[in-house]
Amino acid sequence: MKRFLIPGALVAVPVLLAAFGPLFATGGTGKDVAFSSGPGHPFGTDFVGRDVWTQVLLGGGSVVFVAVAATACTYLVAVPLGLVAGMTRHRLVDEALLRPLDVLLAIPSMLLLLLLAAAAPSSRWVLIAVVTVINLPDVVRISRAGALSSAASPAVEAMRLQGESPARIGIGYVARRMLRTLAADLGTRFTGAIYLVASASFLGVGVAPQAADWAAMIDRNRTGLFLQPWAVVLPALLIVALSVGVNLTFDRLLRKRKSEVPT
Amino acid sequence: MSLPRYLVRRLLLGVVQILLVVVVVFALTEALPGDAAVTIAGDNPDPATIALLREQLGLDRPAWERLAEWVLAALHGDFGRSLTGPMEVADIIGASLGPTLLLAGLTLAVVVPLSLVLGVVAANREGGRADRLITTATLGFYSVPEFAMGLLLVTVFAVQLRWFPPTAVGGGDLLSRPAVLVLPVVVLLLRPICSLSRLVRAGMVDALRSGFVQQARRVGLPPLRVQLAHALPNAVVPAVQQLARTTDWLIGGVVVVEAIFVIPGLGTALVDAVSSRDLPVVQGLAVVLATVTVVVNLAADVAAHVLAPAAEVSR
Repeated sequence: MKRFLIPGALVAVPVLLAAFGPLFATGGTGKDVAFSSGPGHPFGTDFVGRDVWTQVLLGGGSVVFVAVAATACTYLVAVPLGLVAGMTRHRLVDEALLRPLDVLLAIPSMLLLLLLAAAAPSSRWVLIAVVTVINLPDVVRISRAGALSSAASPAVEAMRLQGESPARIGIGYVARRMLRTLAADLGTRFTGAIYLVASASFLGVGVAPQAADWAAMIDRNRTGLFLQPWAVVLPALLIVALSVGVNLTFDRLLRKRKSEVPT
Repeated sequence: MSLPRYLVRRLLLGVVQILLVVVVVFALTEALPGDAAVTIAGDNPDPATIALLREQLGLDRPAWERLAEWVLAALHGDFGRSLTGPMEVADIIGASLGPTLLLAGLTLAVVVPLSLVLGVVAANREGGRADRLITTATLGFYSVPEFAMGLLLVTVFAVQLRWFPPTAVGGGDLLSRPAVLVLPVVVLLLRPICSLSRLVRAGMVDALRSGFVQQARRVGLPPLRVQLAHALPNAVVPAVQQLARTTDWLIGGVVVVEAIFVIPGLGTALVDAVSSRDLPVVQGLAVVLATVTVVVNLAADVAAHVLAPAAEVSR
């Protein structure tokens, strides 16, 4: 349990703040002098004079929510595609599914992010879609590789000979065998989504101008870094803690399962 | 597959990828709300002025016509003219290429040796204190956003300690002020170093356990030689391919790092061009960045094919 302590705490602080922060944001959104630090403002005020702590309490939801939703969407789209590509006996189907993704890989993800974000109205849903598209090729590849290895197994061959339908073999057997590979990938995929969502918000993508958002806070308050660093440091620390914590926690979880279940 | 055949196939795929990137980027910029005519018209847009500007800029013609024209000209090295300024797109790219290449080159020059050292050290002390420290740190910082880490470093080292300048503002050549480059390079190398050193470590652990390394030890070869000449070459194949994926991270990182440290490179040019809807500049930059990505990936795939011909190469 001890080894979960630090990673767990790193995840818990930002996630709890994101989930329950808005309930405690009693400071109101009244405006004071910009980048000041005075009584009533434990971490000072931001670039337009709002209370930094209140903004921190309000601004975690978007990063966490968008990252979770984008990761979920990625798997929802990518796993069926990978399953079909890995199980099909027609080379053409496999190629038709994979080649378009090769093209996607050739577009630098930050370029795609900037273009899509500029082309569409700034909204969370657009951001979720963009992050899903960027992560798609990798997850399809991983699922395909997982499906490929068990689709060639004697068990699947036997099921085929017994006349089981491809759907039943795919969902009932191959997909379940893929779960372990996918679980190993989940942690990095989720932090990858956090990375993209936060970087996008920092570059001004997918956040409404007035909205409270940790990444956008960092961007908007960095002009006052010399006057009032808390408005930048606090959200930056929370984002770093979330990213580091999620990666370490998933790693500990997987290692624990590995040592318990000999493979 | 023989090497020449593989090369031809891979080259063709690369050309198709770049062409498709051009089409995708063109389609996306077409979908941008407003266009350069609106941008140039300024704060008080008058419909007649906008219509006139559109005609002058050729924006009133169908999209596919402009796309075909652009591709033909680009093949002759002509990327067109910026819509919002007097400069040729090729000149804008040329002017901003320097700082970005400097940043990326410096980062790679530090990342490659450092991740080799970290990976080899960790693998040699497998399970020990140094190994646990290196594996935990490289895993933890694997996907920390550059902007968050960058601004934390700026707060500590530029604002509080005043060791380095907080931005590159102040004019002059970047190389003549090396202190300016320290923080940007540190921020940029963070993610690549994590992934590369982990791969080197994993490869080294396998190699050190393998029969040929134990045999080399048994016949009494010097330990350093066993490490560097026998184990390491076998350990770096996966890292070579990851180095190619790192280009994508570097490009993304460069955009963010240039924004934080106000460096006039490709990333800054891209962000400016996207926000001012300067289609020719966006297209030119997109093609340059996509070409770099495609070429590096191609080189890595070919290198992997040469190093390990038996192994199935991803494409």
